[in-house]
Amino acid sequence: MRTTSRRRLLGRTLNYLFLCLVAFVALTPILWMISASLKSPSEILRYPPTIIPEEIRWENYTDVFALQPFAQQFLNSVVIMALVAVLTLVMSVPAGYALARIKPLASGAIFLALLSVMFIPPEATIIPLFQYAAALGWVDTHYPLVVFTAVLVTAPIATFVMRQAFLTLPAEFEDAAALDGSGRLRTMLQIFVPLVRPSLASVVVLACWYSWNQFLEPLIYLRSPEKLTVPVALTHYEDPLAGPLWGVQMAATTLSIIPVLLVFFLAQRHVVSGLTAGGLKS
Amino acid sequence: MTASTGASSVRGRASGREKGRNLFGYTLLAPQMIGFTAVGVVAIVWVIWLSVHDVNVLAGTQEFIGLENYSRILTDPSMITVLPNTFFFVCVLSIAGTIIALLLALLLDQALRGINIFRSIIFIPALVTMVAWALVWSFIVQPDGLLDALLGAVGIDGPPWLRGGWLTLVVFALIQLTKNVGINVMILLGALQAVPHELVEAGRIDGAGPPRILRSVVIPQISPAILMVFMLTVVGSFKVFEVVMLLTEGGPGVQSSVLAFEVYKQGFLLNDIGYASALAVLLFVLILLLTAAIWQARKRVVFHEND
Repeated sequence: MRTTSRRRLLGRTLNYLFLCLVAFVALTPILWMISASLKSPSEILRYPPTIIPEEIRWENYTDVFALQPFAQQFLNSVVIMALVAVLTLVMSVPAGYALARIKPLASGAIFLALLSVMFIPPEATIIPLFQYAAALGWVDTHYPLVVFTAVLVTAPIATFVMRQAFLTLPAEFEDAAALDGSGRLRTMLQIFVPLVRPSLASVVVLACWYSWNQFLEPLIYLRSPEKLTVPVALTHYEDPLAGPLWGVQMAATTLSIIPVLLVFFLAQRHVVSGLTAGGLKS
Repeated sequence: MTASTGASSVRGRASGREKGRNLFGYTLLAPQMIGFTAVGVVAIVWVIWLSVHDVNVLAGTQEFIGLENYSRILTDPSMITVLPNTFFFVCVLSIAGTIIALLLALLLDQALRGINIFRSIIFIPALVTMVAWALVWSFIVQPDGLLDALLGAVGIDGPPWLRGGWLTLVVFALIQLTKNVGINVMILLGALQAVPHELVEAGRIDGAGPPRILRSVVIPQISPAILMVFMLTVVGSFKVFEVVMLLTEGGPGVQSSVLAFEVYKQGFLLNDIGYASALAVLLFVLILLLTAAIWQARKRVVFHEND
């Protein structure tokens, strides 16, 4: 009796020790980034480093906006993200519904084709896509970042998630709607779509997340500083002679993760359910 | 007579309804399929076409050279480093990534006080932009940075982390792993929480200890999720790009480079479009073959309740 409770206590302590270690590895880079974002250039390179800045230097944060049109770049990222999310919904909700409930001829083959698109790495198609964008006059515009991303990456994944969501609903809903004289389009929009609202939310979150994180594509398509997106802009806080301006760069990086964390804590449940949905019901 | 006409007219109406149903389905699929064909299919055909040409960007000429770009991959001395590097990330990130994610998911699946805080914390790096994560890490591993200071506190002199060789690859793998492990943990955690309690309870009544329950009940139950995590990490590990670009630019030489970065370098920095396209096709084929192989093997590994 005594030994089991002691063993349980030991087990629990070990668990917490491991959890704290994991938390330490996950959080240290972020805390270190915040600490560096408040340091003066001389303190940043001091060895051994200081953990809490001796003198808090808020200028790093104002320099973020002085050295680059960061507010504009931030807005670019937000607008592109929103458009990717909308386009993803527009393509994936009907497609997912068709694959799950309408099942037209050859829908199995179409589904397989979409699944295989999910495995094409962006690096493998970036060369033709760049020439494509050049031919359309889309270089140094945001169009390829919205259209190509939604069509090739986020919408196929979202279609998969939406298909799984629509599959879980019982067939009686369709029959009941048909008896009431509801047309196919109305059945879809008024009965089925509202029922998969959690999946809609997770699809939006996934699309936003993917778009916000993109680096290679904006790096290649965009040229003008005022058109850049946040990840590319973060890499431009460098002194051409002295290397990275660590303090300013870390301040900009800190600013870049705030909206993501905000969205996460607001939509935590949906993020998680969105990630798990595909894995469980196959 | 009347009965047969009635039946045929019903059949006629039914097939008409069937036609309408198909038409409606295709209309719904149209935006996705048109976009997919106009962008995805065209891009793949285009990249294959470019890979058998010698493209001169400045002169604007394209000359058909057959498989020369591909044979160049075989003789390119830098590929002797780049391809093993790429496979190093694929093997380490997928296998270690899946195992670590599974262990963390089991750790986080317990009913401990404050467990939700730890679950959120481990997911935070996954939310941070990869570029931000790579930049913070480049700040941490720079000479006399935080990592050297932490090691210095216990009397170890930090080695040159980014000077190439296996150490740099390990550093990259760790950065990539810590960034993405949270997503995989969440997927596996979701699967763990869906394991029916009755099964675990039945195992316990049969006298199985926790390791046996884990091996015989829990792992088979969550095997589809494990497979999904494994496939996601295999695909993702081919795309180690930001770390390479931001921390070493593949250097020194190509010592820390990977296939994805070489595609970018050859295509956009050196303007060797034909060769870069051949590398891109190779990247694509490798991923396709590997995912197809895993998908084929899934029936032997994955437990299906319905089978």
